[in-house]
Amino acid sequence: MAELHIIGQIIGATGFPENNLFCKWGIHTGGAWRLLSGLKEGQTQVDLPQTGDMAYWRWPKLHLQVWHQDSFGRCQLYGYGYVHVPSSPGQHRLECVTWRPLGSWQDQLSQMFVGGGPQLRSPDLIYSGGDRYRLHTVAMGKVVLELCIILRHFDRYGVES
Amino acid sequence: KSVLGTQRDVDNEAPLIYILSKNRVVFHFKVIHYNNGAIMTNNPAVFLLMVNGQIVSADFPEYDDLYCKYCFVYGHDWAPTSGLEEGISQITSKGRVSQSLVWNFPLDITFKSTNPFGWPQIVVSVYGPDTFGNDVVRGYGAVHIPFTPGKHTKTIPMFVPESTSRLQKFTRFWLMGRRPEFTDPKVVAQGEGREGKFYLDWVRSQGFVTLQFNIVTKDMKKLGYDTCSTQISAGQTTAQQP
Repeated sequence: MAELHIIGQIIGATGFPENNLFCKWGIHTGGAWRLLSGLKEGQTQVDLPQTGDMAYWRWPKLHLQVWHQDSFGRCQLYGYGYVHVPSSPGQHRLECVTWRPLGSWQDQLSQMFVGGGPQLRSPDLIYSGGDRYRLHTVAMGKVVLELCIILRHFDRYGVES
Repeated sequence: KSVLGTQRDVDNEAPLIYILSKNRVVFHFKVIHYNNGAIMTNNPAVFLLMVNGQIVSADFPEYDDLYCKYCFVYGHDWAPTSGLEEGISQITSKGRVSQSLVWNFPLDITFKSTNPFGWPQIVVSVYGPDTFGNDVVRGYGAVHIPFTPGKHTKTIPMFVPESTSRLQKFTRFWLMGRRPEFTDPKVVAQGEGREGKFYLDWVRSQGFVTLQFNIVTKDMKKLGYDTCSTQISAGQTTAQQP
């Protein structure tokens, strides 16, 4: 079996309106991959998992949610974003752009005074494009990641990456 | 010593175990490597091109609230085996902090082919509202899917077809509220055959779209095709694309 090892960290974020952020991450792989060891999701400062097995058509995606914690202890969503896990071996520095759902003008007005804001009901839309056309979003900042990718046995299957 | 009995493997119709006597058993194995349903072959007939990536963002200084559509254009020897050939993104607005229009819109498709001729291109069309609230085209662009495995970032300019006739422009805009638009965006990807009125149109650039690709190929080397000039020796990792 071919294996994909992902080792790295979420370094930080830029371009967000406030500091005091934390980032929730997860890896979406599709059915043909099997997790060998490590974590598939977590919050910042945790090492990324290793995944195994071989899939031709669903390369893993790393999806992120950036949240802001204000002085009252409330958590507000600042952005969703995803990147494909790089498919070539080596050290990669990735920048993941993020976006936030935009509500109606009433939502935006109340968000200015009270905080909060619309969120996605399920995280599927972060990394899939099927139902995106119904959404209205606004650009937020970028999250910087450094990942080291190690591939094993892919050449046995004639896979060039 | 005679064969006392054989046990047949139901799937493969090949005898698996020969029981020669009480004490001697000969196992005959037929080993097939399965890999999630795809059998490893030594003489492949097709190669695969796996495209993972995203339409990251757009840069349009004059417009806001844009969405994009993408589709793939490819030759007769190519066929998609999985993934989505077309898609429509969400409508995105410029943020207060950054002036870029972020879609972060996934691209996931695998092609099979026997022949590099007709290598796939992605055609991106960007739309936004005009002052009357109608959706009008803000740009078309096309680029070939990168040819070498690895990570690639492409920023492509967008073009808008302009009618040469001023009267045509006037009537279409004021009476019908529509700007000139290619009826089939795929014509943007074709180098030849842009005949008729498209051949005479002036085309202006109005913005840029940034795309990111991770490319993986399978069996291109086995079929004799070389897309990388670097030699890969044991202990050396693949060169990263700039």
